[in-house]
Order: sequence, then C-alpha cells, then structure tokens
Amino acid sequence: MVKKAYNNIEPVGTREWEEKAPRYSETRRMIAVFAGRPLPIIGFTIIILLVLMAIFAPLLAPYPPNQMDIVNKLQQPSSAHWLGTDSLGRDTLSRIIYGSRTSLIIGITVMIISSVAGIVLGLMAAYFGGATYHIIMRFMDALMAFPMLLLALLIASLLGVGMVNIIIALGIGMISAPCRLMCGVVLSVKQNDYVLAARAMGMSNRRLMFQEILPNAFPPLLVMITIGIGAVILAEAGLSFLGIGITPPTATWGGMVNDGYKFIMYNPVLAISPGVAIMLVVFGFNMLGDGLRDALDPKLRGVI
Amino acid sequence: MAPLLRVENLKTYFRTYRGLVKAVDGVSFEINEKEIIGLVGESGCGKSVTMLSILQLISSPPGEIVNGKVKYEGQDLLQYKSKSEAMNSIRGAKIAMIFQEPMTSLNPVLTIGRQLTESLEIHLHMSPQAAKERASELLHMVGIPDAKSRLSAYPHQFSGGMRQRVMIAIALSCNPRILIADEPTTAVDVTTQAQLLELMQDMVNRFSTSLVIVTHNLGVVARYAERIYVMYSGRIVESGWANDIFLNPRHPYTIGLLKCVPQLGETRQERKLVPIKGLPPNLINMPATCAFLPRCDFASDICRSNPWPSLEAVGENHYIACYYHKSEKP
Repeated sequence: MVKKAYNNIEPVGTREWEEKAPRYSETRRMIAVFAGRPLPIIGFTIIILLVLMAIFAPLLAPYPPNQMDIVNKLQQPSSAHWLGTDSLGRDTLSRIIYGSRTSLIIGITVMIISSVAGIVLGLMAAYFGGATYHIIMRFMDALMAFPMLLLALLIASLLGVGMVNIIIALGIGMISAPCRLMCGVVLSVKQNDYVLAARAMGMSNRRLMFQEILPNAFPPLLVMITIGIGAVILAEAGLSFLGIGITPPTATWGGMVNDGYKFIMYNPVLAISPGVAIMLVVFGFNMLGDGLRDALDPKLRGVI
Repeated sequence: MAPLLRVENLKTYFRTYRGLVKAVDGVSFEINEKEIIGLVGESGCGKSVTMLSILQLISSPPGEIVNGKVKYEGQDLLQYKSKSEAMNSIRGAKIAMIFQEPMTSLNPVLTIGRQLTESLEIHLHMSPQAAKERASELLHMVGIPDAKSRLSAYPHQFSGGMRQRVMIAIALSCNPRILIADEPTTAVDVTTQAQLLELMQDMVNRFSTSLVIVTHNLGVVARYAERIYVMYSGRIVESGWANDIFLNPRHPYTIGLLKCVPQLGETRQERKLVPIKGLPPNLINMPATCAFLPRCDFASDICRSNPWPSLEAVGENHYIACYYHKSEKP
C-alpha cells in the first residue's frame, strides 16, 4: 500500500503550482496600501471636496462672492450668513467657496510648471554631470539665495499684477526645490546596476533618463509636489496680502485673511475661517502625498 | 580565421586624489567565434574594468581609456564616442553583458516584459506585438515556467536565480555575437550557479554566441571555458587552453591559485590547502617590477632588477609573463 502511494506522486513540473505562477495586480495592491490607512483617505477626501467645491461654487455659495451689503457689514455668524460678513458686507462663506477656485488653479498650475521644469533641469544636471551640473545647480543656488516670496515679489512687480503673472512669478520661485531634490535622488539612482545594465544594452541617453531613472526617482518628488501645492497656496496668500497678488475684488483666501485680520479682535471668524480653509487644504495635500508615496514606492513593494 | 574581437594593449586608468590607478595596464586578448573563454583573477585585478572598457561603460571622469584598440570584426570600437549612436548600436546588439548582482540589475519599476521588449524594439525594430511574442519565447527558453503571464510581473516577484535567467534572456534577445558574463554566478547559491552555467552554455550554443566568463572562481571556468586568461593587478599573467592552465600551470600566481582550491577525493593528510601569502598590491603607484614579486615563492634576482616581464610563449598557445620559467619549471 505504501509503495503504491509513493508511485502515485506526479513528476515535478506537471503540478498545477509549477505551471500557474501566482498573480498579483499592482494597481490593486497600490489601492489597498493607499486605502489601508485613515490619514491618506482623509487627505484625499479633503482634496476631492475642495475640487468639487471649486467646480460647483455657483451652486453651493449662498450669495454671489462680490455682492456688497454695507448695512449688514462685519456681522457675526448667523443663520443668514453662516460665517458672517466682511467690512464691505460680503458673505464670508461664499467668498471662501469661490476662493477655492483661485487657490486650486494657482496651486496646481504653479506646481506643474515648476516641477516639470525642475525635474528636467535636475535630471539633466545629475545625469550629465560636469559642466552641465555646475551651470544648472549654481543657477539654482542663486535662485535659492533669495527667499521664495521675495523672488516672486520681484518678478510680480516687474510683470505687474494678475493671475498669469502671479503664476509665472511663483513658478520661477518654486523651481529650485524640485530641481535640487531631483538632482539628489538621480545622483543616487543612476548608480544602480540596472542603469548600467540598460546602458550595456545600448539604450540612448533619453531613454535612460526618462524610462530607467525618472520613474525610480519620482516617489519623493510626488510628496514634494503635493506639499508644494500647499506652500504655493500659502505664498499666493502672502502675495495677495502684500497687494501684488490677485487683484481685488476676486476672492482669494490670502486676501481674505489680510482683510479679516484688521478686525481680528472684533470679528475673529473673518480671518480665522479662510485660515482654517488654507490649513485644511495644505494638510489634505500633505496626507495625500504621504499616502501616494507609500503606495507608489517600488522599494516598498512586497513589504506592505 | 580572424578573431571576432581582438583587444590590443588596452589601458584604462583612473585618476583619483591619491594617485593614478592603472586598473587595466596593457591587456591584450582575443575572442573567436562560438568560443567560451574565461577571465580569472582575484577581486580588484581589473577583470570587470577590462570588460566595461570594451563597451566603453567606464564612468569618465575619473576613468579613462588611455590607450589600446578594441577591434570588433576589424573595426576599432574605441574610435567611437562613448555616448554615440554607433556605440549604442554595438551594445546589446553585437556585444551584450550581464552583471554580477541579479537582484539589482533589473529596473524595479518596469515589468519583466517591458525590459525584454525594449531592446528588441530598439535594435531589431520589432513591432510591440512581435517583440512581446519573442519576449515570451525567450523567457520560456531560459526556463521560466508560465512565461506568457510572467511578462507582466515585476522583478521583485522573481527570485535571484530567476532574475539572472531574465538577465540572460535580455542579453541574448538581440542575438549578440559576444556575451560577456561579469561574475554571473557570484550572488547565487551553488545549485543555482550550476543551473545558470548550464543554461548559459546551452544558450550560447543555440545562438552561436561567444561567451566570456569573468570570475574569481576557478571551478566555474574549469568546466566550461575552452581558453583561460589569468589576470593579476591589471595585466594578463598567463593564458592558454583550459587544460594547460589546470594541468600544467606555469605562472607562480596561477600555481598559487590552484593550490588553494580543494579537490574531491583528497584528505587533509594528503594535501594541505596553501593560501597565497600577502595581499594583492595597491594599484596606486605600482612598482616597475613584477607586481607579484612580493608574494612570489620563486622570486629571484632577475625578477628584482628587471621591469614587469611581457608575455612569452611556453607551449602551443600557452603564454606566461614570468622570468622564472626560463630556468626551470617552478
């Protein structure tokens, strides 16, 4: 009997587990990692709500954002004006809702411009090294020598006020951070064996840079970009505060903090509510970035 | 018949803050068609640098190929710039290379399939569909089960041995004339080592490719290589048929190497393993005399007063760089 059972063992190679490799879907794993913890989900929800708020602002806002009502100015929160009214009698809640449009547009376009430029410059500097490295990075050092806000201030005052000029000014001001980060990461990534192996297979510089190196260097940048959106929203608020940002009466959160802080003792909701909006959005982008990094980082594959 | 690849007097130096490192100092060798050769030497003797120099993969600065010719089918590869199109069309398509660390030689963010099809698309201008089919054929050939669905897997889902199989598949994908395997089995266990070597031998036979096995392990080359070059501190000190090298070694260094390899069927009483005394020399500011001199058991006055000896024939196709053989066999 024992002998017979022994003979029944199938030859190696025809068993099912030999033929069918276990399959994991990478996308499903990423979603599982991302959704597995509460903070990224909270951040993601905040961002989604913000985007929806910006898109459906006319439907959500109880009043037009620039409708003045001098008689009811500086009102405390009430059922008519949930967050009160400002010094010109405009409804604060409506202005916060409309302000999300300005903040989102500026935050996202500035980060797209500065990170694309920064990534390309940083990648080139680190990949080619030598003179290219020194020229690009010394230029970035010069940019970094000025505080970002001061630089944006300088460019904005040269170009004049307006949405496009603010985007250009902040875009240039923000280049150095992604560029330096990219350069640092690429310097380490390009030492990897797979880059040498790809070169040994006859890949061109462009393929090596954008296909082999960039995807491996990207995760830390993703976090930086999402955090950067928060920083840009803050910087735009700062510029508006100084009077060279978005021209009034367009609603911006920074401008509202500026308007409201004069009345902070009398009606603190005016300054605090746009401040809370800025804080929530910055927090949301940070958490989103953190969650994305954990989900996308190739080195964490199989670990989480 | 002219050799497929002839390296003549290759010199690759590294300029460091502590001095000039002559990593490869006048190396000449040749590779014939469909031949398996072994390049043996201890760590840091310039084996890998020699191979990287052939494909101009030395990072410069600090590295620099200061002299020599790398003639592939009579055409000097060193006349091309390292990053030129001409050089890229040689790499992978004519001369391919696989590396020591299978765990890090594959890009973690690209699927196995993408990494296999990429070079097919670049060098053979295949359509993505055709490349994909070829890729699954190649994976099957190197012995990976369920090859078709494995194309969409990522490197971390593969074991070290499997990754090295993938590397072999990638290297052979464009049907190169020469495959350089730079310590291909150092990072895997002995069983996998044997499997990989069998696989490589089988594959190069099937593709009629020449194979260069670079290793510090004499056992690895003993079974597979037809000819062997022994390197020491940037130079070739002995070359010949594998049989001659193993049965009739002439250079004191090769003799020393073979003395410290245990052999089956030997008891401890019969033969003690004898290590080569001392350390490999620092490649910065090398003396003009033979670099092996301080460690050599057969050193004589002629060695101390003369520059590094050049290769001389001691038999049919058997060369050594040593003064001692002139008087008697050591």
